Amino acid sequence: MLTRTNKGRPFLYIGTIILGLLFALPFLYTIYTSVIPMRHVNTLTSPANWTFENFKIFFTNDAYNVPRWFMNTVIMTGVVVIGNLIINPMAGFALAKLNFKGKGLIYWIVVATMMVPYHMILIPVYVNVAQLGWLNTFWGLTVPFLYQGLYIFMLRQFFISVPNEFLEAARMDGLTKMGAFWRIVYPLARSSLITMSILAFAGTWNSYLVPSTLANTPEMYVLVVGLNSVKDMFFENTPMIMAGVVLSTLPIILFFFLFQRQYIEGISNAGVKG
Amino acid sequence: MSDYSSKHADMKGNKIRPSWFRSLADSDKTLGWLFTLPFLILWAWWFLYPFIQSFVRSFQDANFAALDQAKFIGLENYVTILQDKEFFRALLHSLEIVVISIPIQTLLGLLLAILVNQKLKGKGIFRTVFFIPYITSQIAITTVFMMLFKQGTFLTKFFGALGFGNVTWFADTSYALLFVCILFIFQQAGFTMIVYLSGLQEIPKDLYEAGEIDGASKWNKFRYITVPFLKPITFFIVSVSTIAGFQIYDQIAAISRYGALGSPAGATSTVVTYFYQHGIRYMNIGYGSAAVVLFFMIIMLITYLQKKFLDEKE
Repeated sequence: MLTRTNKGRPFLYIGTIILGLLFALPFLYTIYTSVIPMRHVNTLTSPANWTFENFKIFFTNDAYNVPRWFMNTVIMTGVVVIGNLIINPMAGFALAKLNFKGKGLIYWIVVATMMVPYHMILIPVYVNVAQLGWLNTFWGLTVPFLYQGLYIFMLRQFFISVPNEFLEAARMDGLTKMGAFWRIVYPLARSSLITMSILAFAGTWNSYLVPSTLANTPEMYVLVVGLNSVKDMFFENTPMIMAGVVLSTLPIILFFFLFQRQYIEGISNAGVKG
Repeated sequence: MSDYSSKHADMKGNKIRPSWFRSLADSDKTLGWLFTLPFLILWAWWFLYPFIQSFVRSFQDANFAALDQAKFIGLENYVTILQDKEFFRALLHSLEIVVISIPIQTLLGLLLAILVNQKLKGKGIFRTVFFIPYITSQIAITTVFMMLFKQGTFLTKFFGALGFGNVTWFADTSYALLFVCILFIFQQAGFTMIVYLSGLQEIPKDLYEAGEIDGASKWNKFRYITVPFLKPITFFIVSVSTIAGFQIYDQIAAISRYGALGSPAGATSTVVTYFYQHGIRYMNIGYGSAAVVLFFMIIMLITYLQKKFLDEKE
């Protein structure tokens, strides 16, 4: 039996390696091209010719303001993640552990909202943001996105699993239900909250449709939108654009390596349960 | 316990709050609403109201530059859209993307999940490599693929040798849509892998052991244990990916460069680029909203058909 299970081994390895290389190719190409001079694009060149010049050009080009885009992205992502960390758990807790009239309706609202694609409301959101004078401001980029139906749903599932004894014990100690939530239950939800933050962080950092619609002056571009416009402006300068790709995706990839386990758990939980 | 006590703290040192605060923070009724209020306000403002607006505007002749002059025109927007050849071309492209990509990315994702589920050295690295496209900005990935699929690169030459044209894929009307499909498959396969992986790990080991005792071959174990077990997950993946396929936007916006959305020459236009081009770029709010409502109805129809199909199966 041992021989039978081992027979396919080499094929397994070769297959995995071929597919792995196929998937890694665009990333290896990006990193390699970002460190070579333009005349060597699409050829192999010795490490002696490698240079960080492309990164410098991308970052300090006079035609646009990359540090500003970076800051815009950090502010937008930061505010959205913090908002989601406050609003979603409160609603999720109320739906899981409190009994009040209208709870069923609110739960239904959360689930229905989860299922509607954002495209459906994009045009009126754009109009509302414009009428408030919020186009090209952080208000427009953050306020409509401070909650997320899917995350309320995920957190509700977690809070249901918290035993009621915890809450009763907290009340014996003189805490109100509100106090019990912030001091006992919220810290207990740490790993669920980390998972949610990671999903919200990546989703916001990578988003293009919404920021390119609500913020369209170069001053207020976020990195992804800026990268797209640099790509169009300097299309022939492949190494410089590749340096831009590396710089704008690096934070999210580093973040992924730090929280890989929670991220994958979050995806499969949201996937299987949602 | 200390003897310390005052009118500001109880015996355990907790601050004593006024009674109105206690009743607010301790009653399910008030706290329930208090805790859901921030969500409800944002939801009503930034979801419910725009959602209703989408329908209302779809019956109006409304331009962004003169919204106060918007007037009710009944079904005219819908009639115009349903007579527009470009709309049906866009719908066809949306369907093509889904029909080409979903089978490939589902099978590829399953294959990847099976591969990284084996006892393999370095399987963590492979899992990461397969999954990273899903968490990376689609604008960034599309940018890289555009460089890779320019005429004359080693990749286009390679595909040229296989019988494809040695052309710049995203600028060629007969290859641009296929290029979008490749991007979508590359992004989505990692997600499919992760969902399948969690499914594979839930299959009870004794099922396979029982199969081995009965002398089942590897293929038969896959066919009669793994496949039936993964059926609900497969259905879930196909549903999610179909809807994701219909929503594709970033990749097409990136390859359109300075041209109209769906460039070259409308070869990659989809229902999404159609409504965006009319509603946001041309600022024709009424017409764009009608297109969005049609888009929404298509998504609902697909969801309904899939549900029905699933219910019949069970």
